[in-house]
Amino acid sequence: MNTIEVNNISKTFGSQKALDEVSFEVKPGEIFGLLGPNGAGKTTCIRIVLDIFKPDSGSVKLFGNGMSEGKKDQIGYLPEERGLYQDINLEECLNYLASLKGLSSSESHRRIKEYLIRFNLDEHKKKKVKELSKGMQQKAQLITTLVHDPKLVIIDEPFSALDPVNTQMVKDILREQRDLGKTIVMCTHQMHQVEELCDRLVLINQGKSVLYGALSEVQKAYAGHAIHMRTEDQFPASLPGMKEFRRLENHSHYQVDLDLEISPQDFLKTLVAANININQFEIATPTLDEIFIQVVTESGMKYE
Amino acid sequence: MKKTIIVLKNELITTIKRKSFILTLLLLPLIGLIITLVIGNRDQSSGITSIISKLTASEEENLSIGLMDETKTITEIPDELKDRIKFYSNQEAANLELDSGVIKAFYFIPGDYVQKGEIVVYRPDFNPLSAGDDNYVIERLINSALLSENPEIMNLVNTFPKFKTELLTPEPQRDPEHQLTFFLPYIVTLLFYIVILGSSSMMLNSITNEKSNRVIEILLTSITPMQLLSGKIVALGLVGLLQTIVWSGTGLFILRLSGRSFALPQEFQLPASILVWGIIFFILGFILYASLMAGVGALVSNIKEASQATTILVIPMVIPLVLLAPVIENPNGVLAVILSLFPFTSPVSMMTRLSAGNVPFWQLLLAILLLLFSAYWIVRSVSSFFRAQYLLFGKEFKIKYFINAMSGKL
Repeated sequence: MNTIEVNNISKTFGSQKALDEVSFEVKPGEIFGLLGPNGAGKTTCIRIVLDIFKPDSGSVKLFGNGMSEGKKDQIGYLPEERGLYQDINLEECLNYLASLKGLSSSESHRRIKEYLIRFNLDEHKKKKVKELSKGMQQKAQLITTLVHDPKLVIIDEPFSALDPVNTQMVKDILREQRDLGKTIVMCTHQMHQVEELCDRLVLINQGKSVLYGALSEVQKAYAGHAIHMRTEDQFPASLPGMKEFRRLENHSHYQVDLDLEISPQDFLKTLVAANININQFEIATPTLDEIFIQVVTESGMKYE
Repeated sequence: MKKTIIVLKNELITTIKRKSFILTLLLLPLIGLIITLVIGNRDQSSGITSIISKLTASEEENLSIGLMDETKTITEIPDELKDRIKFYSNQEAANLELDSGVIKAFYFIPGDYVQKGEIVVYRPDFNPLSAGDDNYVIERLINSALLSENPEIMNLVNTFPKFKTELLTPEPQRDPEHQLTFFLPYIVTLLFYIVILGSSSMMLNSITNEKSNRVIEILLTSITPMQLLSGKIVALGLVGLLQTIVWSGTGLFILRLSGRSFALPQEFQLPASILVWGIIFFILGFILYASLMAGVGALVSNIKEASQATTILVIPMVIPLVLLAPVIENPNGVLAVILSLFPFTSPVSMMTRLSAGNVPFWQLLLAILLLLFSAYWIVRSVSSFFRAQYLLFGKEFKIKYFINAMSGKL
């Protein structure tokens, strides 16, 4: 049973088509990337999955069927526009939001205390939320997302406005949640973050799904016929099977485009035969950023 | 249901804990206390009130008034008025002293007073209010002089008749001649206006607040808009009831404490039924206005927009206040009946009528029915657009847009 099944959902706001026949599945226990440029329809898609909006057409299944009151308690959501009550103290704010997720008062107090200590917020718990720094509010928001121990965690732009230390902390938490068997949907336009964390992804652009599958397959599909290699030796100007080569970021790192007839395996043999000392040899996979730009520009759409 | 109760509890606690709420809750009775003390003890020359009356007294009051009586009926001036009235036998002397400010007014009773009933008053300037006081003194003086041979009649003329009212209605009534009977409709009307408006505005604030600090999206992933709306309506309704109880309770208490000139409490008894009606009209009025405010809250994008919208919504609430005097004067007149039946004015106006006099039972029922129907209609229309789509975005407030939303044409 898939955690999320999205079937051909479409949604129009006024004259603007926000989503057009989008479908994807999220499998239990994976980190799934919902990607796309700003304004692509990611947040609308998430809101439909969460039953905040109803789709004009198509359907969404969560844990096998439609949304129910009980399922809301199984989901942790970190919206892109973070929101906490500003005028009450942090502890009250967190406790109220946790109780709405079905936690009993004593249970929510206990768990929130643990999280506050873990996130170094314990000494600030009596402060009004608006007196906290942006980073602290982010962490508080994360507590709201995770405190009820949800089976499904949906995070919209998890790393926006986070400094490197907190970014790392969020990544660690996401991995930890996955290791606990949680399903995680990460909604972002920061591709390099996805590469590091995601198992599978869907790419949405202008409301349409343009790319969908496992990260490794997507990268394979977009991989050119090329290798990356490192060597301290002088690189020969021509080699059998080599179309062209160029230096990458430092002088010993090369990308080599190969003739279609030759396999990377055979090219490695050629290099060895040419007596070149190889420090590193790998098949070049394009970064998601590159794929993203390629897909978006190929489909004739502008990348905002 | 469980989550509705959580929303309710949270709304109730955060509202009641708010400093501004506690302050208004306590401040209003305090103001009431001060006012009652001032009015209640005006005659007693002690404490705060005597200071206040000293401040308001003008120099002029210490001056006496001049009197010349051509009819020669006033032969002597009673001792208690000797300081206030100076007798003259010729007009020129009096006019001179009036000019030089020795006296503040000069009363001339012509010889044909008994036939014509005219007294001429000379004053340096026009001051209708204090003049009334002096006129009254002269009136009493001449009356007692004319009736000096008939002291019984004079006594009757000089004192107000005592009206003893026998009411034919079955309910226990407050004393119709009591001072409070006069104030009561004003107090009740204001109380209802403040409480209904206050608690329904809290609704608007609460929703726009959740909108502007973006908590609404988190809330919507935990609860439905309906759970949110109903939790808030009940919570703020209870807050309103609490205010009503505290205010009317402390109000009564203050009156009891201050009661030297108001001899209380036995004479001051509201018929028990007014409390029941009050609760019914408060609840219905609150539901009507609070859901309207919730509707506005769902549509607007920020507090500023919201306050503009409120100005329009408040107009029907203000009408009963503007027309308060004619309604109190004639609590069963056409105007009063219309205002107390029209659902947007009835919660306030009906309470005015109930506290000013008796209202036919069928009118009470009709008002409640009309209010019930409109409240139901408003709750239904508001809930039709109290949805995520509007809660998350919000627009500039336009009355046309609001009317469209209310009639389901969004």
